[in-house]
Amino acid sequence: MNDQFLIDKARENLKEKIVEITNPARRRIFLEVGIDDLLASVSWLKNDLGFTHLSTISGVDLGETFEVIYHFANNYCCLNIRVKIPRDNPLLPSICELIPGAILYEREIKEMFGLTVQNIPDGRPLLLPDDWPAGNYPLRKDWKYERPPEVIPGGEK
Amino acid sequence: MATVNTLIYLIIYPGLLFIFLYSTFVEWYDRKLYARLQNRMGPTHTGPSGLLQPIADFFKLMAKEDITPERADKTMFAALPPFGLAIVSTAMLLLPVWNYSLEQSSLTSFNGDIIVLLYLLSLPTFIFFLAGWSSTNLFSTIGGARVLTMLFGYEVPLFLAVLSPAVLADSWRLAEIAAFYRQQPALALVNLLGFIIALICVQAKLERTPFDIPHAETEIVGGTFTEYSGKKLAVFRLMLDVEMVVAAGLIATVFLGGFPGGPILGLINFIIKTLLVVFFLSLIRATTSRIRVDQVVSFAWKYLAPLAVLQLLIVIIVKGLIS
Amino acid sequence: MNFQIPIGPQHPALKEPIGLRITVEGEIIRDADIRLGYNHRGIEKLAEQKTWIQNVYLTERICGICSHSHTTCYVQGVEKLMELETPKRGLYIRMLISELERIHSHLLWLGVAGHEAGFDSFFMYVWRDREIVMDILETISGNRVHYAINTIGGVRRDLDELQVKRILDSLEVLRRRSQYYLNLGTTEPSFVARLARVGYLSREDALSLCAVGPTLRASGVPMDVRKDDPYAAYDEVPFEVCTAGTCDVLGRTVVRIKELFQSYNIIEYLMKNLPTGPIAVRAPRRAKPNEVVSRYEAPRGENLHYIKSNGSDKPERLKVRAPTLGNYAATIKMLKNGFIADVPLIFAAIDPCICCAERAVALIDARTGQEKIMSLKSLKELSLKVSPTTTRKREIEWPL
Repeated sequence: MNDQFLIDKARENLKEKIVEITNPARRRIFLEVGIDDLLASVSWLKNDLGFTHLSTISGVDLGETFEVIYHFANNYCCLNIRVKIPRDNPLLPSICELIPGAILYEREIKEMFGLTVQNIPDGRPLLLPDDWPAGNYPLRKDWKYERPPEVIPGGEK
Repeated sequence: MATVNTLIYLIIYPGLLFIFLYSTFVEWYDRKLYARLQNRMGPTHTGPSGLLQPIADFFKLMAKEDITPERADKTMFAALPPFGLAIVSTAMLLLPVWNYSLEQSSLTSFNGDIIVLLYLLSLPTFIFFLAGWSSTNLFSTIGGARVLTMLFGYEVPLFLAVLSPAVLADSWRLAEIAAFYRQQPALALVNLLGFIIALICVQAKLERTPFDIPHAETEIVGGTFTEYSGKKLAVFRLMLDVEMVVAAGLIATVFLGGFPGGPILGLINFIIKTLLVVFFLSLIRATTSRIRVDQVVSFAWKYLAPLAVLQLLIVIIVKGLIS
Repeated sequence: MNFQIPIGPQHPALKEPIGLRITVEGEIIRDADIRLGYNHRGIEKLAEQKTWIQNVYLTERICGICSHSHTTCYVQGVEKLMELETPKRGLYIRMLISELERIHSHLLWLGVAGHEAGFDSFFMYVWRDREIVMDILETISGNRVHYAINTIGGVRRDLDELQVKRILDSLEVLRRRSQYYLNLGTTEPSFVARLARVGYLSREDALSLCAVGPTLRASGVPMDVRKDDPYAAYDEVPFEVCTAGTCDVLGRTVVRIKELFQSYNIIEYLMKNLPTGPIAVRAPRRAKPNEVVSRYEAPRGENLHYIKSNGSDKPERLKVRAPTLGNYAATIKMLKNGFIADVPLIFAAIDPCICCAERAVALIDARTGQEKIMSLKSLKELSLKVSPTTTRKREIEWPL
């Protein structure tokens, strides 16, 4: 199993679902698919090629769109599935049915980017405090942190 | 004059003052030994070789803020520590160090005092349980439940192990049991198995590793003592120290031939023998890891209880052979 | 009767704050939940505002124990982005530090495991020997914890002959001591009784829940980034991936002790074959727009940094996945149907390195079992409300 073999396999199985497939370095493959084909691609990756280990899910704010990257790994290669979702309709299907270990990463990305993860088994807040104001998503590029004025209890008013 | 004597007896020697000083010394000995077994120094700062450290700890704790939880049963919460200390101090008076006279029985040395002593040693366990339960803290409640669960494990083997020497000596009086084994030292070897069982059970009774389950701090924070602070905690800690001395004294009396030689030599004997027992207890503490509460119960009933019954059988057979 | 026990954010079993909420029935755990965020520092956001070189020092501060892991992972990625060829000697020194860090982290873990199991003597002995490694690290880098040895394009400090000799000498002591711990950890009856069959995680579960590092390897899956995806010069160094088939805490202990021996061998190889030459190359200040996924085998498992550059002197995005996060899902699975007594052990067995935990406080009524979650703010208000009405005794001044 090497990089070329995986690329050929992907071309053969996913065919027109592939938007782009690149191999920038040894053992690194970036595969871009449409958002509707995400579950099918992950399922193919898991069942046919045995990529069971999801390292993490990264999100990138590109302005008009969000880019979500699923980093899969096995003993030979690190394969990254990239999907792009529009900013005005940030819907992402949950892959927890296929990869149960994805739950924490999905919860994280949900909070940090304000994406809506559909069918997430456990959507409770994970990282942000319970009194976090709604509509604030820290890792979006337009979010700026403003330090609240410091109030010392019993200090000067 | 009799009143003054009684007062001296109760307050100075062998009463509260001596109990306090000696139990803190034993705590220092235990801590130092435990530390040296772990490549540490142990207490060094207060007094020569840190000898006064436990006393300093005690007074420092006495001065700390004393908090009672709002939901706790306040009377019970406050009453338990002094009550527990009183129980173990009373138990200490029963040891045949200060009542070495064999002929006449007295208020603290009579036929059946071994039973009373064992009973007084069982009570602290209930004190710990009640302390945990009345704090209404989750961790304390679980700790309290663990105290009782463990009690069901070690109590029966302890009783069997401690009472079988008494069966052989044909007496229920501590002083007489000790005197019996002094006259026939060879017979003390019969009880070797019981000695080991009693050591393990006492370790469990004192809640020290591997049996420090009720206050395993990595699991349930402070366990039964989670809500205790300040004076109450200080008294509880002193109580544990005294309990250790009493338990060590009981083992020394029953298995190691008591403390002969009158008031002065007897006291020296007492100190040497209790320190020997505490040495074994520290050794167990330093070389084992904490086990689970279910493992304690199964260990006690699978191994300790049958072995204690075996010890009793051996004693009965030996007794038949002698007579 | 069901109880809910809050373990954390502040709890003696936890070295760092995290929130676990455990529902128990007697001594048996029925359910477990995890809350992160107590200590969230927003490093990913902060990294977008710092230059490439400043970020080396920022990533170093993600974790105290595996500080070298994060910088190496980051620096490797940036070197790829900037198309730099790191000199061989630099890579060797980088690997040396990473193996030393693995040894000190595993020894630290062994001690902590001893402490969590109530075996304090083991803890004291192991931590005494850990000082040897800490001393080596101090002589090489000048620091015990944050080595600050990595820079973009190589390392910052060179080794001399004396240091190499000293490292090789102390390896002998460490090997002997580790052998003793391997014997002790696998034969001492009460310790083994405490570790065996605790925190069972089957091979299938470990794979499907995406566990990493020794947790995964103790379930019999030979996955190690050093072997699978060799970075630095790991493809030149002979070593084995250690696994265990017992799937429990004992297996994780054995895997870690075996890895210690592998690390000693790697260090010996590195020191005997240390190439000559420069230790670093000069790095540009900007990187072309590109992206890179950098993986690294930290002591706790796979560490992953995803770095995206946009042509400026700052990264567009730096995503950090610390190994501990990968193990949380598996931890929850392991906790269920165990004993309360096993919580600290199971939790410690993944060697948690918590950068983030919970912000809410769970208040539970012991009598009714009702739970209500209070935010930090309302708790503060409550404390302000209570304190003026109840008179508190002043602390007595005491000379001791």
